Amino acid sequence: MKLFVGEGNPQGVKVLAAAALWAQHVQIDRLQQEEKIVPFMSQPRLPVLDLENGNYLFLSNAICRYFYLSSGHDMCDLSNQWLEWEAAELQPALSAALYAHVVQGKKKEDVMATISASLKHLDQSLAGKSSPYLIKDALTVVDIVVWGSIYPLIVDASNLPEEMASLKRWFQNVSQLEQCQKAASSLLKDKGSSVFKPFLQKQPAPITPPGKSVCK
Amino acid sequence: MAVKEVVALERCLGLNSGKYSSRAQAAGKIPILQTNKGPSLVGISTIASHLVKEAKKEELLGSSAEEKAVVQQWLEYRITCIDRVSSKEDIRNVLKDLNHYLKDKVYVAGNAVTLADILIYYGLHPVIAGLSIQEKETYINVSRWFSHIQNYPGIRQHLPGLVFIKNRIYSSNH
Repeated sequence: MKLFVGEGNPQGVKVLAAAALWAQHVQIDRLQQEEKIVPFMSQPRLPVLDLENGNYLFLSNAICRYFYLSSGHDMCDLSNQWLEWEAAELQPALSAALYAHVVQGKKKEDVMATISASLKHLDQSLAGKSSPYLIKDALTVVDIVVWGSIYPLIVDASNLPEEMASLKRWFQNVSQLEQCQKAASSLLKDKGSSVFKPFLQKQPAPITPPGKSVCK
Repeated sequence: MAVKEVVALERCLGLNSGKYSSRAQAAGKIPILQTNKGPSLVGISTIASHLVKEAKKEELLGSSAEEKAVVQQWLEYRITCIDRVSSKEDIRNVLKDLNHYLKDKVYVAGNAVTLADILIYYGLHPVIAGLSIQEKETYINVSRWFSHIQNYPGIRQHLPGLVFIKNRIYSSNH
């Protein structure tokens, strides 16, 4: 199978980390720009996993889930719920925040305020847990999907609000994993969030008023 | 819509009805299921996947790792793309892609009906109901699939059956 990741596409962080943690025999193809890989999608969509049997996974959470499941893990109700929350609530808010910061030049502190409800939800879920991970007492696909989602904007735990100690600790923990470090540095190349500018500039501004489509 | 839909799914699976509430979110309402054991479950695809397991119909979630990922991918597509169409153009884009995808397929994932077919059918119902006969012919593969799923035993529930014409009226569609 082949994993296609676009340079400067923030969705690449989580799939590269998940591939390093759980995938076997995956060939990673880094594309300089967005290309149409999925034959049935009229717009380019990356990252994409070509399963080389006619099937494609074109949503990054599905790709992470596939790597995780195929390494023998299982998903419970709670892990489904986190992945659905990430896709339905965190992702739209985060894309808008990243766009405002990187393309429109808004200050990081200001855009962080727009996602504070989501961050608070994460912090509260982690607080009072004996385990340092979001569910269960070991790293799961949920940690990778959520971490990979906020990483492009947060980059460093010091950018998280002081009072969210549990979230900070979790973020640092996951960021320190070798596979995550590698995924992040290979995409961000020490340039921070600005590395996503060329990609994001070509996207329509992701304002998310009620009912707005997130499809390209 | 959201709560009504999970209730339809419960009936389709032959389950007793659970306790639901909902909360507002950008794209509409999110259903919440109060379970007997443990905390409540939030979100349509989470609840639907849970109900399928309760009904011991796990085959609806796919059998291999690949099928499971494909089913969940289309559930996410349903929530993030189909549920958020806000213009004619959005609708056209979704239908165009689905039409292309379903070209050589009977079901959305694998070779049997799955939860992806059921939830995409529920989600597309208001969209398809608003199409003209000519548009239904343009998206011929979507129409064929939709007509098949709505006639599948137990799935349609409270939704009105939509009419598809078997013989093409317009000949110049591609």
